[in-house]
Order: sequence, then structure tokens, then C-alpha cells
Amino acid sequence: MQHIVILFVALFSFNVAVAQITEHKGYQIIGDYVVFIFNKSDYEFFSNDEFHDRLETSEVYVKSVAVAGEFNGWSRDAWQMKKAEDGTYTYERLLSDFSEEFDWEFKFVINGNYWAEPSYDDPNIVDAKDEYGKYLHVYNLKLYSSYASKDGNARFRLKGYTDAKTVILSGTFNRWDESIYKMNKVDDGWELTLQLKPDIYEYKFIVDGEWIEDPDNPAKKKNEYHGYNSLINIKVPITFTLLDYKSAKEVILAGDFNDWSEQEFRMRRTDSGWAYTTFLSGGKHHYKFIVDGSWITDPDNPVREYDGKGNINSVYMVRN
Amino acid sequence: MQRLLYCIVFIFTLTTYANDKVDSYIGFPTAEVVNDYTTRIPFKLIDHLIVVEAELFDKKGNFIIDTGSETLILNSVHFKKSSNEKITHGVNADIHSSVKHVNTFLLKNFELRHTKSDVIDLSHIEKTKKMNLLGVIGHSVLKDFEIFIDLYLNQITLTRVDKLGNRLDDNVYLEEITDSINFKLKKHTIVLNTEVNGVMLKMGLDSAAEYNQLNKKVSSKVLKNFFPSRKLKLSGASGKTVEVMAGKLFRVKLSDNVYFGPMQTVLANLKRMNEAFGTRLDGVLGYEFFKQKRTIINYKKRQLYFVKTPMPRQ
Repeated sequence: MQHIVILFVALFSFNVAVAQITEHKGYQIIGDYVVFIFNKSDYEFFSNDEFHDRLETSEVYVKSVAVAGEFNGWSRDAWQMKKAEDGTYTYERLLSDFSEEFDWEFKFVINGNYWAEPSYDDPNIVDAKDEYGKYLHVYNLKLYSSYASKDGNARFRLKGYTDAKTVILSGTFNRWDESIYKMNKVDDGWELTLQLKPDIYEYKFIVDGEWIEDPDNPAKKKNEYHGYNSLINIKVPITFTLLDYKSAKEVILAGDFNDWSEQEFRMRRTDSGWAYTTFLSGGKHHYKFIVDGSWITDPDNPVREYDGKGNINSVYMVRN
Repeated sequence: MQRLLYCIVFIFTLTTYANDKVDSYIGFPTAEVVNDYTTRIPFKLIDHLIVVEAELFDKKGNFIIDTGSETLILNSVHFKKSSNEKITHGVNADIHSSVKHVNTFLLKNFELRHTKSDVIDLSHIEKTKKMNLLGVIGHSVLKDFEIFIDLYLNQITLTRVDKLGNRLDDNVYLEEITDSINFKLKKHTIVLNTEVNGVMLKMGLDSAAEYNQLNKKVSSKVLKNFFPSRKLKLSGASGKTVEVMAGKLFRVKLSDNVYFGPMQTVLANLKRMNEAFGTRLDGVLGYEFFKQKRTIINYKKRQLYFVKTPMPRQ
């Protein structure tokens, strides 16, 4: 879709502080791509689950590396990585190849039969379990569609709690993972900035094991535990265009996003017609144009729906 | 994930007996009510599962929309089982299940009487998918509506139909319906006659099948259109593995006009699956089908309609 330049719309105020960013092991999200990265020196052990042996990495000559994970059914050979001159292996996939909300477990396969074992110190590890949920006493790596980035579009901040040992940010963006997003201590509290896709997310903070809402965010939603989750709405800029109608004096964009205001969003003239850019959350939006007082649907958009009163509206879908 | 599919599918083999009546209603707090007969319910995709938010028995949470399920299934983690328990046979172990009769089923102005529901432990899906799951909405609920499963607008439109399947409301859809095809209903399963490389195949349509599946015992002519890309080791880095072949199935035709682009498909042994669906199938079409085709299901008319997918706007 168009204009997926993500921008943060603040729901609550905060002070600026520099957050420490924890790089996730095994991958980076660069632009529209997930780049898987394997460096032999990042690992101490390789293990083979058929023979139950465990080798130090120095004992193994690496001929090939593949990415195996939940996203490809743990195939040991489908996603073969490319070796660069410096010995780093990489493999790129479009972010859009993964489903909309995800957190996937993965690992690197060496020479088709050894797993590169992450260590306890890696930031994005989870306990590996077998299909019956039994612990295998090793770790998998985890890939998230959301990620911590100092240039991210969603800054989470918790004031106070300066005596706490750890504060974790957990929410629907990482399916309520309880360990991955450790917040950084700043002068007067805790902070973490994430890069998120447009959508409305629920979240909470875990302060030394205790779940709390964001005390500075009035937006919240009741959860199934008879408590509340805080809400954050991530929006993206979307440009609506109306071609032609060049002789019109005034064109207004009205939709559910501005409560169908007949004055607020005055479109600007362009070479081809009219345009207006606004910020929208992920999901479906109904809209219409008002051309010199006459309401019309978007003539270039075949997607239309009835509203609850029998009116016909154009529909814009912001996909995440 | 494959395992999840098996879990869901095999739950549906359970037969139900009326033994407990409960007055309640199911509500969709996020739904748009279009008119007395039509409502639109937004969904989220959790991996490849279609999940809506609903309220039932004063509980609010997620339900999977599943045309492969015979009934409404309630998760015993969240709903108490009724007094009469019975044991039904599942895939790996016996499943203790009981049945609630949801006496009144309301979708705003919609009412369904005597909807049967199984109460089953679905905690394994909650764990695998890391989601809250109140239950599964299946055929017994969906059959009285025309259902538009729209993976473009991420919503389900439910509209009431009469006994013949005619819509009670003319103003439901505004977009172009490009094609339609007939299907057969075997028990609760939608069965489509499809053609692959000149061979007719009976395929089930299951909105909760995360991957398409093709019986590995189909004719070799069909397999000429199947391009394996990898072996799926379903448990991967963990313990025991079941190995299936995954790849792309090319040129699946529903009619002269309706055909599909390559679909991600796994080759599997469908013997047990056939028991679950209650009919012999050559395969199952799921998420990939709905991803490619915005599909309206009319159970009464035994017809599918396809709505045009718009070109991406610039």
C-alpha cells in the first residue's frame, strides 16, 4: 500500500531521553526487509539433536548455513544463507512475507545437521520446547515484527519506579512476551522506543514481576482478567486524491476519521485534481468527498459499503 | 502449526448430545450493524487463523471462525463443563467433552435457537498461538447466514437468508461479484470439485486450515502440478518430528473462469482428516484460498461467490 512511512502519534506526553537499544540476535529489520545474519563467532556451541552431541564452534567447519523456523516449518535447507567475504552469512526476506502479527521462533542450521545454540545472554531467546511442550534445555531465537529502535515510532515511558530492578514492556505487539522488551532506566523512570506497524495495540508494564497499566495514559481497555490494558494507536500518513473536478471551488474530505466533519479537511488543488493527507490507524475507514456542497463517493475506488443508515461510502483499508 | 490444525480438525469429529440448556447470547462488540439482517465483524489474523472478538456468558475474548467445524465450541478453560461428561476420541488421546446448549444466540437483532456447543479444552491452541481463545464458531452458527469472508478488508459480513438462501436484505454488497460456483455439503463440510492437470479432486473448504493440504496418495498427474520446495519438519529444533512435503500447487481450477495462482500446500496423509470431516477428500483448501479470493459462502444455495479484489491504489 501507499505511503507506509510510519509516524508516531503521541497519545501521552513524555520527555526526551536517549534510550539504549538492544539489538536482537540473528536478524535486523532494514526498511521493508528482514535480514537474517549469522556470524560463527556469535555462538559457542553447535548441537545435533539426533545424535545428542554438542560441539564447540571451533570444532566445526561451516560449509552452509540455513535459517529454520516456525515461518518455514523448520526446514533445514529451504532458506539457504549467502556467505559474504567477511564470513558473515545473510538471508533476506520481505517483511510482507510474514503474516501481519507475528513472533516467530527460529535458529540457524549449520551444514544441514547442527543447530547454532543461542546463549542465555542473548536478548531475544526463548526456551525451546518439543511438540508436547517439554523443555529441551536449549534456546531458540525469536523474531518480532515490532522491534526496539531509537528511531522507532512508539515511545513508551513509565515515570518513577526508580527502585525497581527490571521493568518489562509487554503487549499485543509481541503477544504478551514477558521478557523481550526490557525497558531502559532513565533519570526519572523507564523508557523504551519500538517500531510498530499501524494498528491499535494493548500493552502493560511488568515492574519486578507485577503487571501494571501505564499510569500516564488514559486510553485503556478492559481485559479478560477484570483489569485494564493500556492502548496505543499507531497511525500512518495517507493521501486521499480526487482526480479532475478542476472547476470545483472547494472539495472537502469527510470520513469516520474526522467524525464526518464538513469543514475540517479542505483538500488542496493539485495538477491532477485534489489531495489531502491525514494520519490514519490500521484498519478500515469510510470516507466521501464533498464537492461544492455535493457528497460523492470516490470515483476511482471500487471498494464501497453501506453504512448503518443506508448511505453508501467509499472504503479505505490501511493494511499493517 | 500443522499440529494446531490437526487439533482443531479432530475436535470437530465429536458428536454432540443435548444435555444442558443455557440461556445466553453471543455478542460482537466491534461489529458494525448495517441493518436488521446484516452485520460486519472485523477480524484479526493470528498467523493464518481468522479471529473475531466476541462476548458470551459475560466473557469477552477471541473466537476462531471455522467453516470446518461442525458446531460452536467453547473452551473449557473459560467455560465450565456441564454435569454430563462424555468421552470422545481425539487424535492422540481421549478428549473429555461436554455439551452446552446455547439456547438463544443473538447477533444484535439476530437470534438463533438451540445452538449446540461442545465444551472442550482448547488450552493447547492458546499456548501454541499465545492467544486468549474462548472458542470456535462453526457451521451450526454460520449456516443460517450468507457469510462473506473478506481477507482484503479483514472482516466477516453475516447476512440473514431465508430457507432458500435468498438474502432478506438487498443492500448488502456494493462491490462486483465476478464469479460463482456450486459446492456440495457433506455433513458440515463444504466440498468443491476442483481440477488439477485434468484430474478432478474433491477438496474441503476450511477457513481454519492454516495451510492447504493435498492427500499424498492423489494421482501422479496431480502431483505434476505440485512443486515441492521443502520438507517440513513440523517440530523442528524440538524433539520428535513429522516430516511432510511442502510446496506450491499450480493451476487449481474451480471452473473455466475461476482458477488460482500457485498456492502454498502441504502433502499429507488425509486418512484421519477424512474421518474428521466426515467425508472422503483429496485435500483441504484454507487460508490460501481466502487470501486469493474474497469469498461469499451461501450454505442454503450451496454456492460460493467471489468478489473482485481491487488493484492496489497509487
